Amino acid sequence: MIEMTPAAQQRLDNYLQRMRSELRGTRSVVADEVEQSVREHIEIALADAPGPIGATEVIGVLDRLGPPERWLADEDRPAWRQFMDGIRTAPDDWRLAYLAFGMFLLSMLLLPSVGAMLIIPAMIASRAYVELARDRGEPLGARRWLVYPSIAVVLAIATGLLIIGPPLPFMAWVFDHRRYDQIFDVPHSGSGRMRFMAGFGAVVFGSWWILAAAFCAAFLRSIRFVFAPLLDGLRRQHFAVLAAIGAVVAAVGAILIYYRY
Amino acid sequence: MNDLSFDNWTTQLRKGLLELAVLNTIADAPLYGYEIVRRLSDVDHLVITEGTVYPILSRLNNSGLVETYLQESQEGPPRKYYRLTRRGRDDLHRMNQHWESLHHAIGSLRKERKR
Repeated sequence: MIEMTPAAQQRLDNYLQRMRSELRGTRSVVADEVEQSVREHIEIALADAPGPIGATEVIGVLDRLGPPERWLADEDRPAWRQFMDGIRTAPDDWRLAYLAFGMFLLSMLLLPSVGAMLIIPAMIASRAYVELARDRGEPLGARRWLVYPSIAVVLAIATGLLIIGPPLPFMAWVFDHRRYDQIFDVPHSGSGRMRFMAGFGAVVFGSWWILAAAFCAAFLRSIRFVFAPLLDGLRRQHFAVLAAIGAVVAAVGAILIYYRY
Repeated sequence: MNDLSFDNWTTQLRKGLLELAVLNTIADAPLYGYEIVRRLSDVDHLVITEGTVYPILSRLNNSGLVETYLQESQEGPPRKYYRLTRRGRDDLHRMNQHWESLHHAIGSLRKERKR
């Protein structure tokens, strides 16, 4: 056993602590075995030095051993450490993608209240990353898995709002009105009332879809920009289809309402 | 290739070859860890940080390509020696053959370019 000064011993203990921390959880490497070998290495390397051995000699040996953080091959590192290192050492252009994905995960974990607020910044970060990649002329590649989720979620919410939109609260407001049956001359029979409500809903929804389609077609470029790259293929024809469906639904609704006449 | 890419390339190449180098070092006779590190360090550009060798030895031991035994030393505590197992010897033979053919292939490509 070699004798060291307290300062040298402290250096060695710190180094071994770093090494243990780095080797923890490794797959094919036995941490205790490596530590034992490194201790043996240090003892042999310092065997001829006159004792007690000072910090300078110990540092010389440790420097040649090198930082434990650089010892392991990637395949030997635990998956979580590879992930963390990926974030820490990834090129700048990857960090924004990781940040976006991190915010997305957090928003999903903190649903509904805080999460709902976080999904917007996550989406903005994702979009910023998409723009960055486009400016550099780089394909997104595997990074799309980091940036697409938040854009897709916001797009799904926006699509849901577009479909349901104001008609649902408007219909609820109308049917809550005490005299709506008199205003609209609603039949008194149960089936007549049901037919009127279905027809009224179809007219309201159909009309809304025609309006929404016209609005979206007018702002097509802005919509494509906000939800790029997921909506890069969006065309005016898609909104023409929505308007056509709206027209058909509204027409069916009108027929249902006036069928009794 | 810029300096950063070249450094990265040499690092990856070195890491890939180090296992082969370790196995070749103990092919003729068992050696203890420190001695293996010393011999590899004498080869230019092969070992930048000596500690890299120990996780490789552990992995090779774990995968059954090498085995260890303790031997008393006159100069201190017992030393852990590493030697090839039968499987390690077979694998090393195949690895050396593969390395030879790769080396030959790269050499041929370079000759073609020089013509």
